[in-house]
Amino acid sequence: MEFRTWVQGIFLVERICGICNTPHTTCYVLTVEELYGVEAPPRAQYIRTIINELNRIHSHLLWVGVLGMEIGFWSYFMYIWRDRERVMDVVELITGNRVTTSAMLIGGVAYDITPEMEGPIRRAMDYLEERTKFYKKVFETDPTIRARTQDVGVLPTSVAIDLCAVGPTARGSDVKSDVRVDEPYCAYGEVPFNLVTYPTCDVWARAMVRIDEVLESINIIRGCLDKMPSGPIKLRLPRVPPPGEAMNRVEAPRGELLHYCKSDGKEKPYRFKARTPTLANIPALCEMLKGYYIADIPAIISSIDPCYCCTERLIFRDINSGKIWTMSYDELRRYSLKWYKGNGGRRN
Amino acid sequence: MAMLREIWKNFPRKPATLKYPFEKLELSERYRGKQEFNPDLCVGCGLCARECPALAIEMVVTEDGKKRPVFHLYRCIFCAQCERICPRGAIKLTKFYELAAYNKESLIMATTKVKK
Amino acid sequence: MIDVLTALFNLLIYPGLLFISILGLVYEWVDRKAVARFQNRMGPFHTGPRGFLQPLADFIKLMAKEDITPAWADKILFAAAPLFAIVIPTFATLYIPIAGKPVLPPFEGDLILIISLTTFFTITAFIAGWSSMNRFSTIGAIRAGLQLLAFEIPMFIAVASVAMSANSLCITTIAQKQIFEIQLAGTTYKILLPYALLQPLGFAVFLIALQAELERVPFDIPEAESEIVAGWLTEFSGKKLAFLRLSSDIRLVLGTALATAIFLGGGNGPILPPIIWFLIKATIIVIISAMLRALFARIRIDQLVIGAWKYLIPLSLVQLVFTKLLMVVM
Repeated sequence: MEFRTWVQGIFLVERICGICNTPHTTCYVLTVEELYGVEAPPRAQYIRTIINELNRIHSHLLWVGVLGMEIGFWSYFMYIWRDRERVMDVVELITGNRVTTSAMLIGGVAYDITPEMEGPIRRAMDYLEERTKFYKKVFETDPTIRARTQDVGVLPTSVAIDLCAVGPTARGSDVKSDVRVDEPYCAYGEVPFNLVTYPTCDVWARAMVRIDEVLESINIIRGCLDKMPSGPIKLRLPRVPPPGEAMNRVEAPRGELLHYCKSDGKEKPYRFKARTPTLANIPALCEMLKGYYIADIPAIISSIDPCYCCTERLIFRDINSGKIWTMSYDELRRYSLKWYKGNGGRRN
Repeated sequence: MAMLREIWKNFPRKPATLKYPFEKLELSERYRGKQEFNPDLCVGCGLCARECPALAIEMVVTEDGKKRPVFHLYRCIFCAQCERICPRGAIKLTKFYELAAYNKESLIMATTKVKK
Repeated sequence: MIDVLTALFNLLIYPGLLFISILGLVYEWVDRKAVARFQNRMGPFHTGPRGFLQPLADFIKLMAKEDITPAWADKILFAAAPLFAIVIPTFATLYIPIAGKPVLPPFEGDLILIISLTTFFTITAFIAGWSSMNRFSTIGAIRAGLQLLAFEIPMFIAVASVAMSANSLCITTIAQKQIFEIQLAGTTYKILLPYALLQPLGFAVFLIALQAELERVPFDIPEAESEIVAGWLTEFSGKKLAFLRLSSDIRLVLGTALATAIFLGGGNGPILPPIIWFLIKATIIVIISAMLRALFARIRIDQLVIGAWKYLIPLSLVQLVFTKLLMVVM
């Protein structure tokens, strides 16, 4: 990021993660706008909210389908991904691309929502609401899903708070934390929505939190379309922000996403750092896996919605000597070959 | 049983799969595909090459002595920043997306003859 | 001389080895298409008309691939496992009257022989996984053995109540016994009352146990793709994998043919030749199995064993006792 200009950085930051690309761009432009000391116009804030919520719907639906696939429920996966196509069509209608939206600019958004688009968007929201209610009913009543996800991967509330779990992982353990409610950004302060938590603390609870959040997102989009103010959608800003540093957090589909940016008045950022929610959930994951069967591993690991491309690089640390090192791909490969040569004949 | 009714409802339905490449998806108007460049409108300012996040545009000198962009489509991320920044509207993104190729040279798009 | 040639033809071509293999590939196609349609997608489409040749194309492709044996695997058992996997189900299918008469001469007790051959197949799966020297294969092999504990007994009891009702342990006789003669206004009519209607509980238990025997969702636990790569099949590649996949198709034929013969009166029916009726009824069972495959998620092995002993075995025992009471009363 430090080798690209401020505007080029928007498109690089979008590609940190394929699925949750909109929160990354939103957080980055909010941070840079804080460096400038400006706020985007109200209409741009509402459009940003709509695009973020569409991204949340598509990410959560993707995840529920993938959970179904991990526990062997292929039909559920196929149906959900078929219906997810409606969300992608709406995103394509607004921004021009199905996944990497490239819709944010520093000082506003790049694409406007015209009145002709409201009809298709509302129709898609109605269709999605009906289908999501069906998927919720299946998740609540199907005996095989309940057998595989209830009382599996339990993360007690106190442990979730101690290990700083974020996002639906924490909300599934009855922790009321959501950046959209705690520190509203964009238009979240003006559109009413509920904070979803479930008390059962297992994989089922985390899945239900995400399904309910899809329903909440549909309501948020409808609320934004109802209340959309008119006006410009972007500001003209000077090429380089004044020196300073800023930090911002948004609610990505996986949890709380943090961006930090420091400017020294040059045309490229001095320092940029992103802390993604999956990194914060990994200690909780280690705690969740203890004491369950191998057959539960896929369900538990995918219940924190891991985005491996978002998670930071792995660092090895020797606790006794304090030595910290990283391994490149070649070193890792050589290490694994050596290990298998020595240990491969053993069954376990 | 919710799923039972659902799978029997889907059995006689037409499959949701598109028989690509015989049936293609209908794209929205704002779809960002390959660029279309109009050399008559271009003034050679070089803003597109400076702004491209993927460094996919190269300004070259043509046979007429003017500076014109060359698009390296294998680097392009189709963000439409070049379309936004061009002061004369010489770059427009079309809906063409079938850009698979066997070698890199076929993905370099230069619409005017480049001076050797 | 002619007898020998006819016997060889029956054994190798029709309705023997080649026919059973081709029928296995056809049923794999029916199963994949049915599951795809339940999931609102297309299934195989390009190879052959409507993707009909896709299973054959998969088989040929796998035969051409490199055959790798792991360095620490037990070479003899590893190479023998696919052979056993093909021979055992094919041998068992030769006793089922697919085309009116079975290929091998039927005898009293061939039902027990076939059911016990399914146990042998599970042992083959265990050997295949154990000899691969891979942690995923080991887990798959152990799960295959545990699954045998779960489904074997309910299946035996459901089959036993049918055998008791037909007073015979020969599959051909059981299939014939489902034809009843009734007198109506002077003329004798022959109607087919399949045991699926007379013993519906046993039929349901048998279908569920069949799903577990064939290792299909919701009971594809030994082969659970997202958990243990491919279970006991993990280390096999090339020709060995081609034959293991063919063996799973032949087991599909075996299971559905057995269900058709003993529960649906396989082969018997008006007008059409026995082979056609048999194929129609077996296809219906394949579609029911595909429906079960599309309907559920995969359950855990401990939940399967507990569920089988808590629910399937009591239900099949109820069916057995009820059948015996009915026989005593009537």
